Amino acid sequence: MDEAREHVEDLFRRESARLVAALVRALGPANLALAEDVVHDALVTAMHAWRHEVPRDPAAWILQVARRRAIDVLRRDRRLDDEVPEASVDGALSAEADAENQLSMMFAICDDALSPETHVSLILRLLCGFSTAEIARAFLVDAGTIDRRLHRGRARLQALGALADVRDAVAVRARQPSIEHALYLLFNEGYDAGGALCADALRLAELLLGASAVEPSTVHALAALFCFSAARLPARVDGDGALLLLEEQDRRRWDGALVERGVAHLGGAAAGDHWTRWHLEAAIAFEHVRAPSLAETRWTRIVEYYDALLAHAPGPVIAMNRALAVCEARGVEEGRAALDALANDARLLRYSLFWAARADLERRAGRPDDARALWERALSLARTDAERGAYQRRLRE
Amino acid sequence: MPTFMYVFRGGGYSTPGALSPAELQQHLAKWTAWTEELLAAGKRPQGLPLEYPPTGRTVRGRERIVTDGPYAESKDLISGTLTIEAASLDEAAALARGCPILELDGSVEVRPVLVPG
Repeated sequence: MDEAREHVEDLFRRESARLVAALVRALGPANLALAEDVVHDALVTAMHAWRHEVPRDPAAWILQVARRRAIDVLRRDRRLDDEVPEASVDGALSAEADAENQLSMMFAICDDALSPETHVSLILRLLCGFSTAEIARAFLVDAGTIDRRLHRGRARLQALGALADVRDAVAVRARQPSIEHALYLLFNEGYDAGGALCADALRLAELLLGASAVEPSTVHALAALFCFSAARLPARVDGDGALLLLEEQDRRRWDGALVERGVAHLGGAAAGDHWTRWHLEAAIAFEHVRAPSLAETRWTRIVEYYDALLAHAPGPVIAMNRALAVCEARGVEEGRAALDALANDARLLRYSLFWAARADLERRAGRPDDARALWERALSLARTDAERGAYQRRLRE
Repeated sequence: MPTFMYVFRGGGYSTPGALSPAELQQHLAKWTAWTEELLAAGKRPQGLPLEYPPTGRTVRGRERIVTDGPYAESKDLISGTLTIEAASLDEAAALARGCPILELDGSVEVRPVLVPG
């Protein structure tokens, strides 16, 4: 990932997230809608003012406009119940307060009274600057569902007297698991939908590491997992945008810089006193990126990690991935048996990748007709064009 | 080379909330690309965007009555101007067809500038 370019491409939504967090911190969560209005207005202003010439420091320009608008509101609009001193707006908008603003917002969002899905929607809206329609697209759900989640989430946020205090170690540790879970969901959903949100999940995990009260080893494990998985994104589709199997991917296209960043996080993850689910998933992802080829992958070790993971966090998708690792470690027949054993799980029956995995094993076992029927099933359940493209290609072959 | 003035109206004034931050930035990128195209083609573009949200005063008549704000419909509100050099009104109008404002509920009025002498 080219970070400088990435930042410019995302300038508006990154600044939007930064400034909303700052203003909500200064004006209080009750004024969330007002803060969002002020920031959106500043962005529309920039769009007009920069038609023919972009200023040298675009971020500073947007900040100044947002600041002026916020101060105007404080002086004239009297929309605020309590008086907020201008100095507190300036304090919240300063560069030094930035990380803490966003962390306070993240901790406030991941409230126990809200569902993990609502946490993720709020994070995308308030900390990543996405619109309802964009969240719906990235998540492959309808906009009405996202709207309802955001509505519930906002109501809860607005009822808070202030954003979370990220220096309160007890409160921070209590909420840390739900933040990690939300970021994990954000990454996974983003990964399935093509990877656009993966960089945001990693950015927020690294932001979380900046909170001194956070237990860092689990967050490092999560960040390592994100790095290793995201590193494989560039090789994940072919020239037509169709998904490629692991064995078909050109490993030279994996992002080496991200792998290195992940290895650094693994170092931090190892400092913890126990292994979590994130540690195990990061370890599996690391085995994949460190292997020079599919055949040279340490599949036996990966199966062991999956066994440990299933003991930690039982789930059908993990069981499915374990079966695929078994197939590589111990042969197709044993893998098929493990996969067939899962065929009664209601979630997997609706999961296109499960049918695609079964189809692939039939193909490898030399039963092309059985494979065909399974590819058809996978195709009917596919959620993205990348997936559909992959199954259609298989059906043509 | 004759000079022409583009008078821009609207272009994000009527439904400012409809665009997400990313969409606002994508729209802006189109303006930058269009302006660069005009520059590269030697049209010497010189723009004057107007403040957003639209504010201002209007002074009218012999009585010099001053009223607050421009009063047009948002799509008719002037949002800025740009002067360019072009061989003819036809060419200037053809260049205006590439203006991104047309994708955002806006319009471009193309007027020849009168040069004394």
